[in-house]
Amino acid sequence: MGLELNIDNLVKRFGTRELFTIEKLRITEGESLHLKGENGAGKTTLMKIMAGLEKPCSGKVMVTPKQRRWWSNRIHPDVIYLHQTPYVFMSTVIDNVAYGLKLRGGSRQEVKTKVQQALVWARLGHLAEHPACSLSGGERQRLALARAWILAPRILLLDEPTANLDRHSVSTVAELVRQLLEQGTTVMVSSHQSNRVTELCTRHLLLESGALHESSSLESSSLESVLYEVDTKMEPQHYVQH
Amino acid sequence: MDMSLLSTCKEALALLFNLDAELWSIIGVSFRVSIMAILLSAIPAILVGFLLAIIDFPGRWVLIAVFNALMSVPTVVIGLTLYLLLSRNGPFGELHLLFSQPAMVIGQILLCFPILVCMSHAAFQGIDRRAWETARTLGAHCGRAAITLACEARFALLAAMLAGFSRIISEVGCSMMVGGNILGYSRNIPTAIALETSKGEFAQGIALGLVLLLLALVLNFALASVRGKGQLV
Repeated sequence: MGLELNIDNLVKRFGTRELFTIEKLRITEGESLHLKGENGAGKTTLMKIMAGLEKPCSGKVMVTPKQRRWWSNRIHPDVIYLHQTPYVFMSTVIDNVAYGLKLRGGSRQEVKTKVQQALVWARLGHLAEHPACSLSGGERQRLALARAWILAPRILLLDEPTANLDRHSVSTVAELVRQLLEQGTTVMVSSHQSNRVTELCTRHLLLESGALHESSSLESSSLESVLYEVDTKMEPQHYVQH
Repeated sequence: MDMSLLSTCKEALALLFNLDAELWSIIGVSFRVSIMAILLSAIPAILVGFLLAIIDFPGRWVLIAVFNALMSVPTVVIGLTLYLLLSRNGPFGELHLLFSQPAMVIGQILLCFPILVCMSHAAFQGIDRRAWETARTLGAHCGRAAITLACEARFALLAAMLAGFSRIISEVGCSMMVGGNILGYSRNIPTAIALETSKGEFAQGIALGLVLLLLALVLNFALASVRGKGQLV
């Protein structure tokens, strides 16, 4: 059964300031989405809520089929969020890549093999034993992708993955994202401008003025259809993830 | 006077190198009590520091301010409070802990706990929030993510433990009041130095002082070596 993420009447406020209200959003397996919006529109917050890292003020994020872990009813193991500037743990590149896999268990040999595969995939093999904090911005982004890839996520949320990267690094990241899409991973990329990574996306969402709009064309600034509108009179609901 | 100082120092070194039983039993008591106190308080204090850094609750800043204030409480005040609690007429008098090593351990826990809490809180506060979020999104449960954060803050946490240990290994007031300075049982390095000095017997005091100095050097060099070059990353 394909993984599906549904958002229902999601509201996020900071104090009295309402950041956004999203009435409905459905993401199915294998889709590629570009989330566009100006700085401060709430792209990062929305993605963190989708990943279960932040709580909305009201509304629901449902990931089905549910795979609830006893320690968290919000974070789904198949949904992974990557920061705009990835955080690397104070250890080697290998240890960083192996982090998630070690948490899931598995034999030492299995972890070692998969880590080697991930390093080759992310073109980080030559840096395997280096301290992760010595990597450049592009290498860190590839490390973050490898750290996620090794866990075979079904939904990957990339927050501005090309910000502050040069053209060559953007091309490399775009190639890795393309491969993820080919493997059937749902990828959502947030970016306030179009680039080689967002060009891979088939759905284009615009978070603007507290509402999420969807455009069928590549030029999301000239929206052809507004599918999701703000309902500011919504009744608050408790946050639940199924 | 100079000759006297020189001969006293020679006498102190002789006591140390001749493995004087009394001297080494005092050193043993000091280490036993202080290591026990730091081991018992480290994990709970680091956990409290972590929770203060990660959980937002009403009155958090008040609690942080209280722990900060407790760091500077004089050791004799802790000793006096504990004395009143453990004395025969006190609420815990029936436990018969006064003038014992467990009483000294309790006193030293009270002394180092606030230091450990405040320094570990500062250590966790200094860690990027993305570390927590990265650990969680990669599948770590809260406890495992907390351990990851502790690993990220390991040098700061080691420094906190060192500061806590330094405070308790060298304190006189509390150990004197609740330990009773009983030779071979509750006489530790600082209380022995205070006693021997008051008696005009400086050799043992100097020998014990050298042990404390050596300990400070060893611990700080150990911390510096695990810290690496200590540069920014």
